[in-house]
Amino acid sequence: MAATTADGSKVVGGGEKSNVDEESKMITLFSSDGERFEVTQEAAAMSQTIHHMMEDGCVDDEGVHLPNVGSSILAMVIEYCNRHVASPDEKEDIRSFDAGFVNVEHHTLFDIIRAANYLDVKELMDLCCQTVADSIKSKSVEEIRELFGIVNDFTPEEEAEIRKENQWAFE
Amino acid sequence: MDAFPALIAAGATAVCCLVCAIWAFRPPSPNKHQSALTPTCCSCRDKATAASANGEMAIGGDEMNKTPAPAPAATGASMMEQLVPEITTHALSYLDCTSLCHLSMTNSAMRRAANDDGAWKALYHKDFTVEQGNITPPNGWKAYYAATKAIMNVNAEFYNIIREGSLPAMSHFWLNADYVKCINASGELFTGYNAVMNSWALLFNWGQDGGQGTDFQLRDVRARVLSDVAWVNMKVHVDGEPGPLHATNVYEFRNDRWYMVHHHSSVMVDPAPHNLFG
Repeated sequence: MAATTADGSKVVGGGEKSNVDEESKMITLFSSDGERFEVTQEAAAMSQTIHHMMEDGCVDDEGVHLPNVGSSILAMVIEYCNRHVASPDEKEDIRSFDAGFVNVEHHTLFDIIRAANYLDVKELMDLCCQTVADSIKSKSVEEIRELFGIVNDFTPEEEAEIRKENQWAFE
Repeated sequence: MDAFPALIAAGATAVCCLVCAIWAFRPPSPNKHQSALTPTCCSCRDKATAASANGEMAIGGDEMNKTPAPAPAATGASMMEQLVPEITTHALSYLDCTSLCHLSMTNSAMRRAANDDGAWKALYHKDFTVEQGNITPPNGWKAYYAATKAIMNVNAEFYNIIREGSLPAMSHFWLNADYVKCINASGELFTGYNAVMNSWALLFNWGQDGGQGTDFQLRDVRARVLSDVAWVNMKVHVDGEPGPLHATNVYEFRNDRWYMVHHHSSVMVDPAPHNLFG
């Protein structure tokens, strides 16, 4: 890990040349479509995947390539991480930020869930899964189908069977 | 010469979407170039496919708050079904039992996912008790959850009957058999349906140990359900009375419903820690 001495010069452990800016300890991330993103190491470390890579010294001169995350989703994840490391104690602000953050269409939300899973950002995963769960609550079966584009493929006999199987939950 | 500006625009679009290289290299006709971009291409998706998405989708597009309804991917699976199993399991853990049931009723793939045994076991431990972690319910955890919920409701009904002081309801609630027993907090034992009903009649008439106007809170309710027998333990805090009670209720499943066959109440011993040296 890099450390800054009193006169501002940088001491890097292991003698490796990593892509670390002296002042703000940045790291470069590359999305699947080749876009570059400069983030602070602190924000990047919210992703356990990247955090472990940094710890294990697997980050080369270029930065970290993320073949599973597209640029627009990566930009959103970075925005989330930046916001959360910036002021982790301002609960009200963060809450309203989170509420605005997940106010996107479900397709995007699922992309974020996949990215948060791949990058292992637990808080973001929790936030998105809770949002999906809340959108399912108190919806009828047909409304849930519409919401996620699920196509009903039950035969009428199966429908009756399923209604019986789940009757108990609606009493 | 008209083609030249169109060529520049096409080139810019292609560069913008490197991940869609395969699509970009398909022999495009000038009109359809933009709609050839795959829906998963992030930055260009909204611009390029909005038109095609609106045209393709008939499902509930108008009722959506924000954007057009999501188009099923090329494989025909909804976005829920496209999640890998480990994410699905994690996402399901945020649902309550009603939502999980609703989800299982949407289609066969969701039925498989939402009926997952592990998901229902976790929900059971969240909603009822962490006990019984090592048992294997014979019909799976979803059925066990359902049976437990049913018994908890029946048990709650018992205390509602006591609150109301309704003897007819109590007579309907117990099994009419000679082996049923009731031991109330005073320590008296009543054996057989008739004796048990008489004891309740006395209690309701005299307003003791229940009867109208008394309220209870049940705490730490724990149920164990087998195919035709179930028992429930709980602590009963009676309003206005100092000592909470332990209670044990046993039920039998006959003629498609649960009957009470045993009730035992006793005063709780004050669990103040006793010092070995004190």
